[in-house]
Amino acid sequence: MTPAESPVAKTGADLRIPFGLALAGLACMAPLFLGNYPLHAIIIALIFLLPAHGLNLLLGYTGLLSLAQAAFFGIGAYASALLAVHFGTPFYLNFLAAGLVAGAIALPLGIPALRLRSTSFVMCTLGFVIIGQAIAKNWIGLTRGDMGLAAIPKPYFALGPASFTVSGTVGFYYLVLAIAALATLAVYLIVRSPAGRNMIAIRENETLAESVGIPTWHYKLIVFMISAVFAGLGGSLYAHYLTVVSPLTFQMYYSTTMLIIVLGGGAGTISGVIFGSLLFVGLTEALRVAPELRMIAYGFFLLGLVFWFPNGFAPLIGRFWSFLERRK
Amino acid sequence: MTIELSRRGFCIGTALIGLQTISSGAFARSEDGTVKLGLVAPMSGPNARYGAFSLRGAEMAAKEINTAGGVGGRKISVMPADSQGTPVEGVSATRRLIDQSQVDYIIGDVSSSVTLAMQPVAEDAGVLLLNAASSNPMITYKAGVGGFKWTYRNYPTDENRALIVLQYAAEKKGFTKYAVLSVDTDYGRAAIEFTKKYLPRFKSQILTEDYYKEGEVDFRSVLSKIRDSGAQAIIMYGNADSTPIVGRQMIEVGIAGKIPLIGNAEFNTASSIKAAPKALEGAIEAAAWLPAYDSPKSKAFVEKFIAEYGEAPNNHAYVHWETVHLLAKAIEQAQSIDREKVRAALSAIHYESAVGEVTFDDHNQARLPMILLEIEHGKPAIKGAYSAEIDYPK
Amino acid sequence: MLYTVIEQVVNGIVSGSVYAIVAVGMTMIFGVLRAINFAHGEYYMLGTFGAWFAIDYFDLPYPVAIVIGVVATALIAVVVGNFVMQRIVGAPAEAGVLATLGVALILQNTVILVFGGSYKFFSGGYIEPVTLFGFTLAEQRILIIIVGLIVFVGLELMVTYSRIGKAMRAVSQNIECCAVVGIDVRHIALWTFILGAGLAGLSGVLTAPVNVSVYGGMGELITFKTLPIIIMGGLGNVRGTFVAAMILGIAESLVATYVGLQFRDTVGFATLMLVLMWRPHGLFSAQARF
Repeated sequence: MTPAESPVAKTGADLRIPFGLALAGLACMAPLFLGNYPLHAIIIALIFLLPAHGLNLLLGYTGLLSLAQAAFFGIGAYASALLAVHFGTPFYLNFLAAGLVAGAIALPLGIPALRLRSTSFVMCTLGFVIIGQAIAKNWIGLTRGDMGLAAIPKPYFALGPASFTVSGTVGFYYLVLAIAALATLAVYLIVRSPAGRNMIAIRENETLAESVGIPTWHYKLIVFMISAVFAGLGGSLYAHYLTVVSPLTFQMYYSTTMLIIVLGGGAGTISGVIFGSLLFVGLTEALRVAPELRMIAYGFFLLGLVFWFPNGFAPLIGRFWSFLERRK
Repeated sequence: MTIELSRRGFCIGTALIGLQTISSGAFARSEDGTVKLGLVAPMSGPNARYGAFSLRGAEMAAKEINTAGGVGGRKISVMPADSQGTPVEGVSATRRLIDQSQVDYIIGDVSSSVTLAMQPVAEDAGVLLLNAASSNPMITYKAGVGGFKWTYRNYPTDENRALIVLQYAAEKKGFTKYAVLSVDTDYGRAAIEFTKKYLPRFKSQILTEDYYKEGEVDFRSVLSKIRDSGAQAIIMYGNADSTPIVGRQMIEVGIAGKIPLIGNAEFNTASSIKAAPKALEGAIEAAAWLPAYDSPKSKAFVEKFIAEYGEAPNNHAYVHWETVHLLAKAIEQAQSIDREKVRAALSAIHYESAVGEVTFDDHNQARLPMILLEIEHGKPAIKGAYSAEIDYPK
Repeated sequence: MLYTVIEQVVNGIVSGSVYAIVAVGMTMIFGVLRAINFAHGEYYMLGTFGAWFAIDYFDLPYPVAIVIGVVATALIAVVVGNFVMQRIVGAPAEAGVLATLGVALILQNTVILVFGGSYKFFSGGYIEPVTLFGFTLAEQRILIIIVGLIVFVGLELMVTYSRIGKAMRAVSQNIECCAVVGIDVRHIALWTFILGAGLAGLSGVLTAPVNVSVYGGMGELITFKTLPIIIMGGLGNVRGTFVAAMILGIAESLVATYVGLQFRDTVGFATLMLVLMWRPHGLFSAQARF
């Protein structure tokens, strides 16, 4: 239903290039034919796409199931909001700082956590979210606790004498679209690099990867940090878009949303995650027609996903893609 | 084969839901003249227990207005939207109400951080946001002359309440040493923040300070600590579902009847008192409203609510019921559903609520009487109604 | 001073025994199904609702309500077990997480849909306080501690001596081998799940009189309390879970007394992390299952 720039469009020939271009064109022109509400839904989808990309690098490419994304998402949101509210710094600074802070905090957390195996690691990462919320609630001097930080300014850019403010849904849509496209490109470059292949090797067989000389421990730590950077960047967008940050930003609900996006779209594929973020935000919004049945339907949807599409929707996208290719 | 079929069904189902979203964008503003009123509240998940009462209160008010002929001949239709108690879902719900359902007015949300996130959305769209249950002072600091001219609040802020309770406890009861046991949300935290502001005025102090997570069920440890601390009263700002639990555990650790609860957490409802009569005896509460309030309008509301839904209304049910009536009155006085006119009518309104007259100040904050009561012999006894102007930060 | 500490330890044991009954079901499910059950607290909620329904609608006495609550939970567990849990045997961890989250959403919001989202008042049980060795407790809490002990002794005996108990242990150690020697893995998985969910329901019914408020979303909190316990106890380890539940109960009680109630919910995960730093497999090696 909704278009997005697809990095896969950059490879191959045939109908795929025109189709990819058409999608990119649609994405750029979306505000012409979509109302504020669908645009808002796409903005939310693209905001969640960033942490989902991070989780995909971790889960889809390196094979580590983490629920910590909401913690780094919250850290990024708070970092960005505090800078904007207290120092009035321009958006690009807040945005980059959010990513850096989240990545920096991921280092000391990742070192002990990554020593753990499977379920213990999952629980430890969930613990980060719970403890993050407690800190946000109780470190009142910094975060204002439950009162939250409100009135976070709209993103504005200041380069030398020129400055301009992104306001309105359409402006924010283009900002988020551009950032999401850059992030997707970054993930694409990481995955296609030799490092990306080493990550896949770790996912497939860690012991074997270690034996052929891949420093698995360093890889896992760095990927964990990169995933935190992506989550932090997403958190920054969230803070500036919603204008409110409260301890509620640290909740497992967001971690599971990101997990559902990655698994539903197809872990280990980039196009799948993009599709997943649009699909799942679209779905939760679409289900609003029946408020009282909404979460029940969502629950059944999750079950359907697990049992009928254990690899997410990526195989379907793959089939569609080869269909386009064959048509030349 | 069956697997393949169900997979197909699953895909088709998902696609249909998706299509429906796009097509529902085609809804135009209704021409039949119904007044569309959006209600944003938590309706699923753990916070649904707060949203459920809100929706019932609002729907009952709409039904009453419609059976009486509507407002200026127009029917009110309440369109619920789920916020799950989280800001991002609340904003999505608000956007949908504004852009898809084309509502003219929104009532919501219960949680303050959701309301704060909804404010700019309603402001950009020029849709009236009438809050009926969030108590964070910031909401109206920023409203009216403070900035957001489309945000109104028909609910008392925490500051007022904190002062009234403390004053009564100090002057009438002679308490000076308190223990704090409040809910760990902006409501519970802010109420204590304001209590602390007024402590020196009454030469009082707080001996222990604890905040419990919503849904907490185990208070024995903290109540034992309070018992040993020498506090004369427990300041509790919380939600109604915790009061019976705290009351019963007060009996267990042996402080029931010795250290009263003061603050606000629906100490006065029949079910709270029934759960732990000994612990709630002597409790002091400042409430926007209580089921036992003795006015014909209030009594009629309680009776009707019980007849309709088979359970007693709580505070959230009342404020949403009253707010829908308040809005209807504003529309009637504006003699139009034009948003700008209704907004002007609301600013100038003198509305006779079940507890007294409601007017709005220049920050769009309702001036509301706060009822102070004490539980005596298992029944709430009303000790007076207080109203105070708010000091806005300059 | 010393009295305060001892009293808080007693308080901790009281809450620990509640955690223990919920957590033991979850850890058994993990042992056999290898799935973190994010819906576990929902069975606790279902048990409570079953009993509340029996008392409020039919005026049944509390002991009967206990049976109804547990049976209702077990019946729902049969359905969920057949359609969901059996299928995630051997599936990757992510699948288990998503499936149980889905189940949690369905159960929680169906209850909200059927009974309304507002909180209910649980009126059954034995809530009169009694004094034992200088500590005052509600009678119901003594019942909880006794039932908790019975459950543990019963489970120990079951997994050690009974046929199905031995099969459960076998499945938790090696699924493929069990299939080879003719143990019906799916059957064992189903029964373990029903047993675990039933125990969660039982603890829901038992704690309802002291927790008073009943509402659809009450299970989530329990799930989050239970998760760190089962990891600390060593996944699938009944005895370890019991000890971990007590440690958590006491630690929470002391934190609530000496630090502040607002930090209580972080105790579980903070303790878990510290324990994992020290012993990455939990306090009790996961090898010694059951």
